[in-house]
Amino acid sequence: MSESGVEAQTGEIPFRNPGWAGNTGEFDLTEAQVRGSDYVGVTPADGGHPCAASAHPYLLPDKDPSAPLFEGPYEKRLKKILSRYPDLRAALIPVLNLAHELRGHISEETMGEVGEVLGLSYAYVRGVVSFYTMYNKRPVGRFLIQVCTNISCNLCGGEDVLSAFLEQIGTQLGETSEDGLFTVMEVECLAACGFPTAVQINSLYFENVSSADVPGVLARLRAEAE
Amino acid sequence: MAYPYTHEKEVRILSSGWGDPRSRTLEGWRALGGYKGLVKGFEMGRDEVIETVKQSGLRGRGGAGFPTGMKWSFMPKEKNGLHYLCCNADEAEPGTFKDRELIRWTPHQVIEGCLIAAYAIQADHVYIYCRGEFFEANQVLARAVEEAYEAGIAGEDIQGSGVSIDLTVHQGAGAYICGEETALMESLEGRRGLPRIKPPFPAAVGVFGQPTTINNVETLCAIPHIIRHGGEWYRQWGTEKSPGTKLFCVSGHVCRPGNYELPMGFPMNDLIHEVCGGIRDGRQLKAVIPGGASVPIMDAEECDGCELCYEGVIERGSMLGCASVIVMDDTTNIVRQVRRMVDFFAHESCGQCTPCREGTTWLSRILRRIEEGKGTEQDLDTLLDLGEKMTGTTICVLSDSAAAPVASSIQKFKEDYLALIRRGEAVGAV
Repeated sequence: MSESGVEAQTGEIPFRNPGWAGNTGEFDLTEAQVRGSDYVGVTPADGGHPCAASAHPYLLPDKDPSAPLFEGPYEKRLKKILSRYPDLRAALIPVLNLAHELRGHISEETMGEVGEVLGLSYAYVRGVVSFYTMYNKRPVGRFLIQVCTNISCNLCGGEDVLSAFLEQIGTQLGETSEDGLFTVMEVECLAACGFPTAVQINSLYFENVSSADVPGVLARLRAEAE
Repeated sequence: MAYPYTHEKEVRILSSGWGDPRSRTLEGWRALGGYKGLVKGFEMGRDEVIETVKQSGLRGRGGAGFPTGMKWSFMPKEKNGLHYLCCNADEAEPGTFKDRELIRWTPHQVIEGCLIAAYAIQADHVYIYCRGEFFEANQVLARAVEEAYEAGIAGEDIQGSGVSIDLTVHQGAGAYICGEETALMESLEGRRGLPRIKPPFPAAVGVFGQPTTINNVETLCAIPHIIRHGGEWYRQWGTEKSPGTKLFCVSGHVCRPGNYELPMGFPMNDLIHEVCGGIRDGRQLKAVIPGGASVPIMDAEECDGCELCYEGVIERGSMLGCASVIVMDDTTNIVRQVRRMVDFFAHESCGQCTPCREGTTWLSRILRRIEEGKGTEQDLDTLLDLGEKMTGTTICVLSDSAAAPVASSIQKFKEDYLALIRRGEAVGAV
């Protein structure tokens, strides 16, 4: 979690807090308190307790498309994941998530490697990968910015927020900026409809984002990248 | 407390720990009376737990409203192999945002509900199928499950009761359809999330071919309270047919959007104008979608006097769904917002059934044409005809859901469509 939080803006709109929805006047919470990051602590790379081995962020800022998938702590995590399901096939999505976390996208090579470990054909793995929208099929920037434009966010300016990100980064939808920092995508409902506009950046939700907040959010991300 | 705003008319049972970081921990949850329901449930025995849930009249909170106790009683009494419980935390219905709050503020509430339900249906393993995007909330939940294992509340021989139940936090990978219970099971088995034909029903042949029950997060969160205080206690709120409290997710053009826990049957007028502080900027109400994107849209007249319970919303020609109340004021371009919802269904259609795969795409294309001022009046007939053919003709109800807002909006906001078709003018800019 970054400590470089943007200062909460106050003003005529009582409900503007890009990052988290924790200080509405009735609640006075810090970002860490809302996100629960203090409680979670550091999630071990080996997966911790097997019950939790499938619950990891699928996308991190540092991505290595050629990172070894099942070595060291990740081999341990793989074994823990496998221990929770009655067959190898059922572990496919958690194992793909692990690969995605390390590499940032699922390439054809990754599909092959994952299939080999689980005894599934490349074609089968590809069929599953193509079904699920969270798997990036090609590399993305350090920060994958996904802006919700579904109805509840849309009613409150979701499309303006999306345009603001694209304009201020100077990139097209789905393309990565020249500096490799940002990829902006439109996303379906993130289930944070009471906090419009909801934006997911890598594994974190940013809530109540208005187009006026976009420069602040980008400044925060740039500071994190340094 | 609701979050991020509170209101004095709320009845805070499921949401009592929200907004307080202490309620996340095992210690904090115990301070709120947590795990007393589990102990009591184990003392009562399986049959009495199911009976109590039946008495409470609790209905599934994932949208369909099926009685929970009855669903549990479909599970075989005699075990022949493993039983499974799936907690459906794949919250993705546009307008719905309650399950993530339950998970991130009170993960032990979810766990306690899972354990009592698993005990009642003799499940050996609980898979909490979490929406992939919810990494932050999922990690809070995962930490809480670890705590439960460490404290001997989950796993082998729970607190010396002789009952063993495993819990696994399973993350999805982004597919709305996996919230449909049979697609969820397919996905859990490592497949594309294609809904299954029923029968066989999950209680007979569920995940991994074994008897399975799938319950929504909010349903399971109500269980510890019902077991602790009794079925009659729960019935002090709500109506005869829709007992208890419900988390209402209010989004769109209200001053104070958010989750509010209210008794079933709460008047929609009071929810919008009092609890949520009214329509923003003092504007007029134009339309409401009362149960998430899948249900028919209501106009202001239908909303007036509507009671928010399963039967009350059906009376007004729509459905309560997961009580995801999307409020639209008079600046709303209905055609545009309906098109946006249909785009969503077109994106999320699994592609198995022709009426849905083709129908959602054509609905979207025709609506876009109308939105751009290039539509004809005949297009409206085509849309209605398509919608009719998409309803009741597919394996799951995604197809019906896509058609519902189209047909209902043409019926109730025809002037909006005609203004675009005849004059190329949108009614409303948003």
